[in-house]
Amino acid sequence: MAYVNVSRDPERNLKNGYLATSLVGMGTTLVTFAKQVFGLEESNTVQWPEVEFQYSERFKGAHFLTKRPDGRVRCTACFLCATNCPAQCITIVAGESPDKGVEKYPVRFEIDILRCVFCGFCEEACPVDAIRMGPEYSMAGLAEQKWVYTKDYLLERDAVKRKVGEKQVSKKDENTKHDTVESSLPGIHTGHSEHGH
Amino acid sequence: MSNQVTLSINNQSITVPAGSTIMEAAQKLGVTVPHFCWHPGLSIAGVCRFCMVRVEGMPKLQIACNTPASEGMKVDTVSDEVKDAHKWALEFHLINHPLDCPICDQAGECELQNYYMKVGKYQSQMEDEKVLKPKALDVGDTLVLDTERCILCSRCVRFEDEVTKTSTLGIFNRGDQATIGTYKDRKIKHNYSYNLADICPVGAFTAKDFRFKCRVWFLKESKTVCPGCSTGCNVNLFQNSNQREYYRLKPRHNADVNGHWMCDTGRTMYEHLNASARLSSPLLNGESVSHQAALQAVTDAVKSISADKLAVVFTAQFTSEEYSATLKTLKATLKSAPKVFVWRDESEKIEDFDGILFRGDRNPNTRGMMDVLKEEGINPVMLKGDFSALASSGAELTLIFGPEIEVGYPNLQKALGRFIEMKKTVYFGNSLSEAAKRMWIRIPVKVFAEKNGTFVNFNGVAQKLKANAPVFPAVKSVDEYFAELGKIAQTAI
Repeated sequence: MAYVNVSRDPERNLKNGYLATSLVGMGTTLVTFAKQVFGLEESNTVQWPEVEFQYSERFKGAHFLTKRPDGRVRCTACFLCATNCPAQCITIVAGESPDKGVEKYPVRFEIDILRCVFCGFCEEACPVDAIRMGPEYSMAGLAEQKWVYTKDYLLERDAVKRKVGEKQVSKKDENTKHDTVESSLPGIHTGHSEHGH
Repeated sequence: MSNQVTLSINNQSITVPAGSTIMEAAQKLGVTVPHFCWHPGLSIAGVCRFCMVRVEGMPKLQIACNTPASEGMKVDTVSDEVKDAHKWALEFHLINHPLDCPICDQAGECELQNYYMKVGKYQSQMEDEKVLKPKALDVGDTLVLDTERCILCSRCVRFEDEVTKTSTLGIFNRGDQATIGTYKDRKIKHNYSYNLADICPVGAFTAKDFRFKCRVWFLKESKTVCPGCSTGCNVNLFQNSNQREYYRLKPRHNADVNGHWMCDTGRTMYEHLNASARLSSPLLNGESVSHQAALQAVTDAVKSISADKLAVVFTAQFTSEEYSATLKTLKATLKSAPKVFVWRDESEKIEDFDGILFRGDRNPNTRGMMDVLKEEGINPVMLKGDFSALASSGAELTLIFGPEIEVGYPNLQKALGRFIEMKKTVYFGNSLSEAAKRMWIRIPVKVFAEKNGTFVNFNGVAQKLKANAPVFPAVKSVDEYFAELGKIAQTAI
């Protein structure tokens, strides 16, 4: 049976060449610094906030709610995001939509952004592509700022509009019922549906 | 021929009365046979063809709900052949089902959804378009009907025909065009309508009272007894425990009391449990005081008078334990029994009965209260519209135990108006009404869902209540108050 000696050697740092490797590292820093001073290499540092860093398009930052082509909220208040949320930061109050074809819609949709852990489970759970995580990453603010994002804010805020533009309107199929179906008996019609169950 | 037959289900033998079906035998044995149209409280329809089982010696699979059990029968509910039958039956049920589970209130307690997860095919082979049918129909004051979600099990039609005998619903058209609906110019208008939402295995009938309010998987159920009338139906109370908010009641089967059903009046018995409908802290002359201060004031007032100057006004909405504790403490403190009055509403017709469950006595514990009073040797005076007995009693302190459920007391304001004419009034109850505000002291009490105790129903069946976590933690039940009152009164001596 072999065993490993894990007791600490007092002269370990010297034996490992700590001093020598430190000097090598310092040298690398100085060389890079000199290269950048004389314009031989471009700097990776961004002058934030004057210059904004561009993350990938798939970056998952602050949430926004998508819209139907007519501008209304896509969300049907199914509570799947709220159920799936590990931080329990989503509050939804559902109500009867004035539009009969939609039936259910969120009267209130709030995200407590301080509780959010940006895991993206809400986006994943959503069956109608109504909530997405956007490109917005700088969310710092003061204590008196409103940290609970309301439905209006999630739908309409400028920062997201500027960056997302047309992408805020979901291209998924409409989740409304066929408009030939009227709410009266015996008006039964056949309509389109491309999937089975 | 004997009255019992013995059959075996999945090689387990079971003896049932002759004439029972395989489904009943399986239920008795604890074997689950998937089903939609069969309901223990209704007649057998055998229309959903979902409860397929293999019976040895029969050429094809049989439906468990409508096949009588016979001696020596060998039934199998778990083989691959049976599972395959369930899978395909479900495929046919889902042909025209819209699958709008995200906006359906039934999602989470939907039998179709549950069986789909258990035995579903997952990949549909249907290529035809779904038949679209009317959605969100208004079929009465309490229900919304979605004919697309309906799987035509006809439970609701049978309920209307057999239990309420109102026959409002029927199945119209044929084949894939068949829909459930109300007959022309008729609406579902009876006191048992929410049962339709309960028995509907899918989300075709949903309750307006619960519509879009909460997803069912957030709710936790607790077993309790409905306090709405003297029948004392066994119910499950649903609470979102994160929000401390009660959302609904559903009946719980008890063959001796309520069977499978409960009335719509009983379904509203969650409303007064929520914080917004309740008094949160004691009030002395309209000003909020601590529980300790209120208790001290009541104790001092009780101790400063003799028993004949104290009037106690009971309503039959408290538990037997509470009446008992109140009377025992007062007797011990005052050395003799106080005068006891029983307040009943003027409009109450105690003998009324609708033939199914709902009774005219809107108090859950009339019988229990009378038993306790008899045990304590007290003969109460009835206050029913006529309060002269109380007014002429010369009482200097009146302890009023107000009704928890005020809908059972339509003349509450008038009665409270008479009570505040008394000298000093202490009101135990959560009433937020105007007249109650003029009481000397108002003490909030626990509601039926938050206390342990007993309700005795009209028939003498004593049923236990089990306590949930209270909405206001500092609020006590009447027996807890009087236990403390007794302690304070004794230490002061």
